[in-house]
Amino acid sequence: MTTTDITITGLFFAFLLLAIPVFVMHKTRLPMIQETVWSFLRMSVQLALAGVFLTVLFEYNAPVLNVLWLGVMITVAAYEAVRKQDVNIRKLYLPTVAAFIIATVICLIYFETLILQGGGFSEARFLIPIGGMLLGNSLGGTIIATSLFYNDLQRNENRYVSALSFGAQRKEALLPHFRAALKSALKPSLGNVAVMGIVFLPGLMTGQLIAGLSPMTAISYQIALMLTIYTSTTICVTLSIILTSYASFDAYGMLKKELFQKR
Amino acid sequence: MKEEIIRYDTVSVVFDGITVISQFSLTVNQGDKVVIRGPSGSGKSTLLKMAQGYARPDTGTVSYRMQEIDAATAWAIRQETTYISQDTDIGEGIVWDLIAGVFAYTANKTIPYRDCLGEYLTLFSLDETTLDKDFRTLSGGEKQRIVIIISLLLGRTIFFLDEITAALDGSMKQQVAEYFLSHQDWTIIAISHDDAWYREGIRIITIGGK
Repeated sequence: MTTTDITITGLFFAFLLLAIPVFVMHKTRLPMIQETVWSFLRMSVQLALAGVFLTVLFEYNAPVLNVLWLGVMITVAAYEAVRKQDVNIRKLYLPTVAAFIIATVICLIYFETLILQGGGFSEARFLIPIGGMLLGNSLGGTIIATSLFYNDLQRNENRYVSALSFGAQRKEALLPHFRAALKSALKPSLGNVAVMGIVFLPGLMTGQLIAGLSPMTAISYQIALMLTIYTSTTICVTLSIILTSYASFDAYGMLKKELFQKR
Repeated sequence: MKEEIIRYDTVSVVFDGITVISQFSLTVNQGDKVVIRGPSGSGKSTLLKMAQGYARPDTGTVSYRMQEIDAATAWAIRQETTYISQDTDIGEGIVWDLIAGVFAYTANKTIPYRDCLGEYLTLFSLDETTLDKDFRTLSGGEKQRIVIIISLLLGRTIFFLDEITAALDGSMKQQVAEYFLSHQDWTIIAISHDDAWYREGIRIITIGGK
């Protein structure tokens, strides 16, 4: 179980790679140089802080601290999910956070107790990375699905109104829009799942392989994690749409337009 | 005295700070046939939407069967009256699946729509094969007729119709207008610019313009 560290010199060479995209952007006058440099600097600082923080977290390994950190991750994930849509954040923030908490907590508990049998729920080195992967993946799906859901409803308002006038309950009238949204959230994951192991080795597996674990261990982790992510995305999207819908419709069943005006 | 179905009482509609309809009043009793006309942007469609609670008056009130329309009554009205909007885009997919979908709603489960479907298709000159097509590939006129047929299959007797013959050809306009207006007991408020609707015994109301 030996692993090779990447040295400062190594990292320097990694950053040197950026010269190529920057050069191409410069030559083609693609105005993304500043954004590129800034994004990677920001990422490096964030990761450095995370490194320090995780070191501390793993050192102490205190359940309270772990759960607290998980809470921070959930809050940021929910904030991002709402921010990326053109919606009034205050109204939809709480329902989205609730959806994230419920989906992630259910799936984490399931993973840590039934899948990772005997594996510590209070172990920071299991809880934090796996929680992060569940959140990160649900986040992508939820952003796609909720924005598609509300955009679809606004663009195709007549379909919704027609359904209501044909006698549908609000739920029944929303179902086709929900179906389209969930499908768009899950399709990319299915695409990934289909080529996994052939085209690319996912991050978790790569990490475990580099850490010197046997490929079989890495694979079983990956299979279990993909299944959990798929499920947590489904729960998260479903709950997000159900819970936000309480805040987004008036008593007449009409979408509150003022929520979706771009500011 | 016939039963009052819907009443607009001094209703105003404001779009972006401009009053497009002010002090509009209208009472429609059971069996009445009313045709509304007026220039586009005059707020006609908004008036019609108020009948099922998709829009609300800025001032004034709209009542259904003597009761002011609020959120609770709006849901009940949607179950017993039919509103057809001028937008014929009602969904995606195969026509048959769209129709079956409407009759899968809890409220419509017991309606024997299959029995009359063929009859209506013939009445409005649609081929049975239309049912197997993708709704989006239909022409405007075909979509309009499918929407009308679904509404008729629901078997309700109060109709709020927004330009439902606009995309139809001359003789079909006549046929659809005739079909709706010939039912004595049906209550109808229709927005239309088609002459087919302007018949004897029909109340014609012009809003907006001079």
